[in-house]
Amino acid sequence: MTKNALREERIELLRALRLSTEIAKHLLSATLRPYLSAVRSTLEAAMCLENFSSQVVERHNKPEVEVRTSKELLLNPVVISRNEKEKVLIEASINSVRISISIKQADEIEKILCHKFMRFMMMRAENFVVLRRKPVEGYDISFLITNFHTEAMYKHKLVDFVIHFMEEIDKEISEMKLAVNARARVCAEEFLKRVCRLTFPSSVLLLNFIVFLVLKP
Amino acid sequence: MALNNSLLGWRRLVIDVYNDYNYYLDLAVPPGGPTTLVFFTNKPRKRNIEALKTVLRNAPISSRNQMVKDAALNVVMQVLLSMKSSQIEEAVNALDRDHLDILMKYIYRGFETPSEGSSGQLLAWHEKVHAVAGVGCIVRVLTDKKRV
Repeated sequence: MTKNALREERIELLRALRLSTEIAKHLLSATLRPYLSAVRSTLEAAMCLENFSSQVVERHNKPEVEVRTSKELLLNPVVISRNEKEKVLIEASINSVRISISIKQADEIEKILCHKFMRFMMMRAENFVVLRRKPVEGYDISFLITNFHTEAMYKHKLVDFVIHFMEEIDKEISEMKLAVNARARVCAEEFLKRVCRLTFPSSVLLLNFIVFLVLKP
Repeated sequence: MALNNSLLGWRRLVIDVYNDYNYYLDLAVPPGGPTTLVFFTNKPRKRNIEALKTVLRNAPISSRNQMVKDAALNVVMQVLLSMKSSQIEEAVNALDRDHLDILMKYIYRGFETPSEGSSGQLLAWHEKVHAVAGVGCIVRVLTDKKRV
């Protein structure tokens, strides 16, 4: 009977944790909406692209924002920041736009998760079409959108995609973090059960105490 | 088929250097000086909107001195961040097209150096200016060579 009660307690605690993260997100969303609308309006302004063959090499067509040989083809790079950690760099040119995103990473585990997740996506950049294989220096992930993309796809849909991406990344990383913590807790518990030799109820209590001390939620 | 390489010397010219506005001399006193004086007398009387107008009128756009521009940026940031959220809309409605463009340029420059709580305020400013001046304002920030 005590076993069930403790299990329920654990479930309650996890629920409370999930609720607290949702409340925190609600408070944070005070800057999220204006941040995303600022990025959206800047992208709409920057994504005015037209075909432009290379001036340096004949018969070549290169994204000028990557090549950067002619100064007159480049627009002013612009940064939109939500706080010191999160920002977006938008560099535009006549036939291409490069969007670099710096994702919020509050602690060590989020840093590792973010790095692995971004690496996973960037390895499959060809399937993403608009993703860049390497992020720009100082940022976590970069998009490269050229005039060919805007000709083949709707411009407003491309902007929607980037904004949606920015929203979803934060959610996914916090979900992954919760999953990691839950799994780590279960693992530690199972491991300590074999090591501990106290009577069952008190041992489970002790285990819970140790686990909550060691693994900060 | 001999190539006369002296005639190809034009390929190495950087044409932007010879633009007209680069020859304007910084004759006047750096705007950082008088602007800060005006700012500090205005503030006690809570004339934030007047301070904003003055600061935008004296913006050192044609100056090539980076320190002058940075000093002006600091003053503008102080004005923008000191105004309450309710005053922002009033201030934006009181400005004309050119000043809105200059204001937008300062907002984007302010984003580059975020400090405690500054980005949130700047995002509110960005939203209001965008609502009044439209996408064209942002396009002018991206394309104008006269950076603030």
